[in-house]
Amino acid sequence: MSKAIAVLKREYLEVVRKKMFIIMTLIFPFLMAALMFVPTLLAVKGIQGKRVAVVDGTGKLQAAFGEREPTPAEQPASRAGKELSKRAESQPGVRALPLKTDYVPAAGDVKAAAQPFLERLRENDGDKRDRLDGVLVIPSDAFTNTDAKLLYYSRAVSDLMTEERLANAVNRALSRERLAGRGIDAAEADRLLKRLELEGVKVSKSGEEKKGGELSFLVGFIFAALLLFPTMIHGQEVMRGIVLEKTERVVEILISSMRSFDLLSGKVMGLALVGLTQIGAWLAMGALMAAYTGGAALVAGVNVFQAIDLRVIPWFFVFFLLGYLTFVCIYAVGGAISNSEKEAQQFMGPIMMVAMVPWMLAFPILQNPESTLATVLSLVPVFTPITMFMRVIVSEPPMWQIAASVALSIVTVIAFFWMTAKIFRVGILSYGKRPSPAELWRWLKVA
Amino acid sequence: MTPEVVLEVHEVSKTFGRVRAVDALSFSVARGTITGLLGRNGAGKTTTLRMINGIFLPDAGAIDVFGTADAAAVRDRIGYLPEERGLYRKMRVMDQLLFLAEIKGHRPAAVKGRAEAWLKRFDLWDKRSGKLEELSKGNQQKVQLIGALLHDPELVILDEPMSGLDPVNVVLVRSILKELKAEGRTILLSTHMMGEAEKMVDDIVLIHEGKAVLAGELEQVKSSFGSNTVHLTFEGDGAFLAGVPGVAAARVDTNVAELRLAPGSDAQALLAAAVGRLRISHFEIAAPSLEEIFIERVGAGAGAKAAEEVAV
Repeated sequence: MSKAIAVLKREYLEVVRKKMFIIMTLIFPFLMAALMFVPTLLAVKGIQGKRVAVVDGTGKLQAAFGEREPTPAEQPASRAGKELSKRAESQPGVRALPLKTDYVPAAGDVKAAAQPFLERLRENDGDKRDRLDGVLVIPSDAFTNTDAKLLYYSRAVSDLMTEERLANAVNRALSRERLAGRGIDAAEADRLLKRLELEGVKVSKSGEEKKGGELSFLVGFIFAALLLFPTMIHGQEVMRGIVLEKTERVVEILISSMRSFDLLSGKVMGLALVGLTQIGAWLAMGALMAAYTGGAALVAGVNVFQAIDLRVIPWFFVFFLLGYLTFVCIYAVGGAISNSEKEAQQFMGPIMMVAMVPWMLAFPILQNPESTLATVLSLVPVFTPITMFMRVIVSEPPMWQIAASVALSIVTVIAFFWMTAKIFRVGILSYGKRPSPAELWRWLKVA
Repeated sequence: MTPEVVLEVHEVSKTFGRVRAVDALSFSVARGTITGLLGRNGAGKTTTLRMINGIFLPDAGAIDVFGTADAAAVRDRIGYLPEERGLYRKMRVMDQLLFLAEIKGHRPAAVKGRAEAWLKRFDLWDKRSGKLEELSKGNQQKVQLIGALLHDPELVILDEPMSGLDPVNVVLVRSILKELKAEGRTILLSTHMMGEAEKMVDDIVLIHEGKAVLAGELEQVKSSFGSNTVHLTFEGDGAFLAGVPGVAAARVDTNVAELRLAPGSDAQALLAAAVGRLRISHFEIAAPSLEEIFIERVGAGAGAKAAEEVAV
C-alpha cells in the first residue's frame, strides 16, 4: 500500500507541476464560456448591424418600422441577456427591432418600387453607407388576400433570426391596422394583441418549484462538459504515461519492486486526484464568476442561482469520479497493450468516440431526461455516469435508477481495473511480442 | 564450511515465441561474492536476470532467492540495475532517487542523507536538481546505479553495470562493488566485457544460447584450462607467431599475443623464435585469459561444441 502511495504521489506531482496542466486549469473556464457565449453574441451582433429596406405595398405600416435605433440597454449581451430582451420585446410599446430599416411606402407597383433596392442588394459591395443586407417586400394585397406572402430577399437565406423578427413585426402591424379598420384605437389594439409570456417551472417530489428552465439546460450542458473534459485530457495522459514507462524501461524497476496491482492503483488514484484538483479549481472559479456575474444578473431581474440546485454538487463528484475512473482504466488497458506511442494513438480515437457519446446526445437527453433514450443510456455501463448526471441536473430520476447507475459504474470500474491489472502485468513487458493465450492465463493466475 | 547460497537458479527455461532464450539453466550464487554472468549478446543473460527479479516468470524450473521462491517477499532486499536506462526522463535526479527508494519500502526522508552522499561520491552533486534527460548517458547510468543501491540491498543485480561509463567511472564503480562485497553483500552482474569481469568477479557463469557452458570459481575455471598458454608483450609485427611450430591456437593483437601451445611443445622454442624477430618486453606461461576461454567456448563455431558438453 505504501508503494501505491509512492506511485500516487509521483503521478500526481508530475501532472500537476506541468505547465500545460496549470494553463489548462486556469483558462478552460474562460474557453468554455467563450464557446458558449461567443456564437450567441455574434448572432445578436450580426442582426444589429443589419440594414433592411422595407418596401410596403400597403403603405400603411410605417409605424412599425425604422423610427428609432435600439438603445444600448436593449442590446442583448449574453444568453441571460437574450432572455431579458425576449421578455422586453413582448412588452407593449417596446417594439423596436435591433435592425436598421429603410421604410419605403409603395402604394401601387410594389415590384417596380422594390427594383432599385434589389439592384443595390445585388451590387452590394464596397461602399458601407449604401450597404443593404435585405429587402422585405410587403405585397399590396396584404390586408385582403389571406394567401399573400411576405417576401424577404437577402444574400444569405439562412438568417432565420432576422426573418423571424421581420415577420413578427409585419404581422403585428397588420393586426393593428386590421383592428384599427374596425374602429379600435391603438391602445385598445395593443391590449387585444398582448402576448403572454411562457415560463418553465420544474416540479419535484419535494413539492418545490423552480423557475428558469432554459438556464438549467445550459447548466446541464456546462456540467456535462466539466465531467467529460478531464477524462479526455488525463485519460490519454495515463495511456501515454504507461507507454512511456514501457519504452523507457522504467517498468522493469517498477514491476520488480511492487505488485502490478499497487502500481496500477497508485496510478489511477493519482490521476483521480489530479482530476478532482482540476474540477475543484474549476468549480471554485465558476462559483466566483457566478457570484460576480450573478450580482449583475440579479440587478437585471434574473436569478442565476435558481438554475443550480446545490444538492446536485455531491452527485457531481460521485459521477465525476465514476466516469473518470472508468475511462482512466480503459485508457490504461490501451497503454498496456501498446508498444509505442504511435500504437497507443490508434486506441485514442475509438475510446474518445465512446466517451463522447453522451455528450453528443446531450441535447436530447437534457431536453427529455425521462425519455427511453436517456433512461437506457443512463443505465448502460461506460455511458451511465455522465448521462445520469445530466438527468439529475434537469430532472429527478427515480432513486432506484440513480442507485443502479452508481452500482453499475462501480462494478464497471472494478471490472476494468481488474482486467487492466491483469493485462497490465502481461502486456507491459511484452516488448514487441503479443502474449500468447497460454501465457496470459498463467499471468492471470499469478499476478 | 559451505558458503550460504543466496540465489539458486534451478533448471530454468524461458521461451519467447520460437526462441528458447534460456534453456534448463542452473547455477547458484554464494553470499558475499561477486558473480559474473557472462555470455555473448543474446545469450540469455538479461532474460535470466529479469526472471530472478520476478519480471518474467520462467516457463519451467525454479528460482530461489534468500531461500524462498516468492519473489514478492524478498524484492525489497534486492537492488536491480536494468540493462537499459529505467528512469523517468522528465523527473529531477533527487526526486527520482527518493522515489526509487520509496518503492523499495523506504521513507524518502530516511534515505535523503544517503542519496546525497552517493551523489557526491559519483560527482553528481551539482546535478541533483536537474532533469534526468539533461544528463549524459554515463551520468544517467550512475544515477541508475545509485537507485539500485540506495535502499541498502543485500543482493545487488547489475545488468551491464559498466555500459556507458568512462574509464575513471569504471574504476570508481569497480571499487564500489568491491566495497559492497567487503560489507558482506552479494553481487550478480552480467557483462560481455571479459577483461572487466576478470578484474573483479570471484565466480563466473558462462552461458551460451541459454545454457550454462562453464561455471565455477574464476581461478579454478582458468586453471582447468591448463597452464599452457603463452602471454606475450612485444614491439614489432607479430603476425608470424600463429605459424610458429607448436602453436595450436593464436590470438595476435597489436603488441600483445596469446598463444596456446600444442601438447608436448616447448614454450622456450616459441620464445626463441620470437626473440629473433620482435623486441619482447613480457613473456609469461599461464592459464588462458577469460577472454580466450570465452572465445574458445562461445566464439564463432563454438556453438555446436558447447551444446554437446554442458559443463559445470
